[in-house]
Amino acid sequence: MALVSSLTERAFVDRRQRDWDRLDALARVAQGRGLRRLPPEDIAQLSPLYRDVCADLARAEAARYGAQLIEYLQGLTAAAHTAVYGHAKGRWSAPGRGSALRVAVEAFPRAVRRHRVAMLVALLLFFVPFFAGLLATLADPGFAVRIVPEAQLRPLVEAYSRGFDSGRDAGTDALMAGFYVNNNVGIALRCFATGLTFGVGSAFYLVENGLATGAIMGYVAARGAGDNILTFVVGHGSLELGAIVLAGGAGLALGWSIIAPGDRTRIASLQAAGRSVVVIVFGAAVMLFMAAAVEGFWSSSSLPAVVKRSVGVGMFVIVMAYMVLGGRGSEQAAHIERSEEDDRWT
Amino acid sequence: MPLDTDVAIETPEHIVFRHRVAGPARRFLAYLLDVVICYSVFSIIAVIVVIAVAGTAVLGEAEGAFGLGIGFLLVVLFAIQWLYFAVLEGWLGRTPGKRALGLRVVTASGRPIGFRAAALRNVLRAADALPLAYTAGLLSISGLVSMIATRRFQRLGDLVAGTIVIVPERTRAATPLLLFPPAQPYELAQLPDDVRLDAEERHAIEMFLRRGPRLGQARQLELASMIAPQLAARFGLRSENPMRTLALLYDRAASAGRTDAPASSKVPGSWR
Repeated sequence: MALVSSLTERAFVDRRQRDWDRLDALARVAQGRGLRRLPPEDIAQLSPLYRDVCADLARAEAARYGAQLIEYLQGLTAAAHTAVYGHAKGRWSAPGRGSALRVAVEAFPRAVRRHRVAMLVALLLFFVPFFAGLLATLADPGFAVRIVPEAQLRPLVEAYSRGFDSGRDAGTDALMAGFYVNNNVGIALRCFATGLTFGVGSAFYLVENGLATGAIMGYVAARGAGDNILTFVVGHGSLELGAIVLAGGAGLALGWSIIAPGDRTRIASLQAAGRSVVVIVFGAAVMLFMAAAVEGFWSSSSLPAVVKRSVGVGMFVIVMAYMVLGGRGSEQAAHIERSEEDDRWT
Repeated sequence: MPLDTDVAIETPEHIVFRHRVAGPARRFLAYLLDVVICYSVFSIIAVIVVIAVAGTAVLGEAEGAFGLGIGFLLVVLFAIQWLYFAVLEGWLGRTPGKRALGLRVVTASGRPIGFRAAALRNVLRAADALPLAYTAGLLSISGLVSMIATRRFQRLGDLVAGTIVIVPERTRAATPLLLFPPAQPYELAQLPDDVRLDAEERHAIEMFLRRGPRLGQARQLELASMIAPQLAARFGLRSENPMRTLALLYDRAASAGRTDAPASSKVPGSWR
């Protein structure tokens, strides 16, 4: 048996222990306070010390030194590895024009178009029940009561019958904006996440919300406040309902990636879909934040109905144009998509 | 010694090391701690808001301040549910609860996770909580089933985001084993020049020699007798004291041929 090293374990440890202790101290500081807090000369030391301990570990294993020494070196290598290697952040702050934010703004509509089939299915799953609920309630207001508890419907009718001439005080506006953030963004994120159940959860949330929204609007309209609720909803509707549909569509895409993984394994397909749609979920959440602000402070204001409706139509056009045209020809976003396509999470 | 809950990580330097993967119990405790922290902070903020609202009520501005206060608390509640974990894990790789339990979230290749993976794995907590949604994730049946069914204890969010939760373990450097008392001439005389033990045998003997002093004499003898006679027969030794036999064999196997080895390990006149 040829010897890999003529050093005994004791001599090896004696020779290397000082460097190991130094690396151990540096790795602890880097993990506790972050690599950026280390003085430059320490950072310069960290990398060679890390490579040396890698070599020491290989040597110790080859020379068949004691198991405890090897375990110690493995722990030290792991700790230093965590300190030395960051996550692959190069993509979203890639060199070239624009910041990570700009790339995200361009990547969002591109991702939506990439998953256009899922988005169209989500659109149908939301709006078919929506119109079904709306028309059924207009024909027979009793239908709404079977979907939404009457105790919830009655105050809504009262609120919308009153109109907006008196406006609302700033406090109530803020309360409602906070409620919309907590409630609506939560629904959208849950609608996305439950797509993991082969899309069933997302489909359920879409149908349920579509039906309930349609029934509520129909009920309020049947009680004679149809103009008012339309004026209220039109301002934030494109953002709010659009975001729910997008989040649901992202969930459906996630579910479909398990059902039809193509030439990948199911788990690889699921991970690729996750990487691909996460920007849509971010985008939908941001849209809902914007919708909450509009809904809380604008839709309830005492501005004339014609202004609100024109702005609402304008918002709809802007949202649609952004989804259809946004990010076209963005080299950087295209580069990110290519690199993500086959890549694993790194 | 590798356990089946270890995950091997290969570095860009082609060195393989192992991380211990955290199990459901430990992760549940970390999560519980995080929930307690979140809602404690929320309670404190809520008390401050209530006091502030009451203060403005005295000044006669009650209604506006009340709405503003509740709206603010709802936004804080949202942040607790959906942002706390994602932001802290994306930024530091661990939440305070995970830190307290010694856990860290890394990618399957052992790197720190970014904000996107952190956001994805935490948004999907809602799927892990199925079928009992709205229990603040404390009864995550799907997540538990997924953890049990996967080799690396991954819940659904981990599977999609390609992440694992590890327990970074740090052992202290142990001093190498030394043969004590040094080998006597009569022992050297019968010890073969070349003692070859396979990795498992070496490891077993090393662990025994390290733990021996903490065991009772009788137990030491009992354990050593299970293996020493067979090894003694293989290397042609007379085994009078099984503990001593193991120590001698280990010492020669570990240090044979090394220049600065103690006398007991020197193989006379040969370099192997």
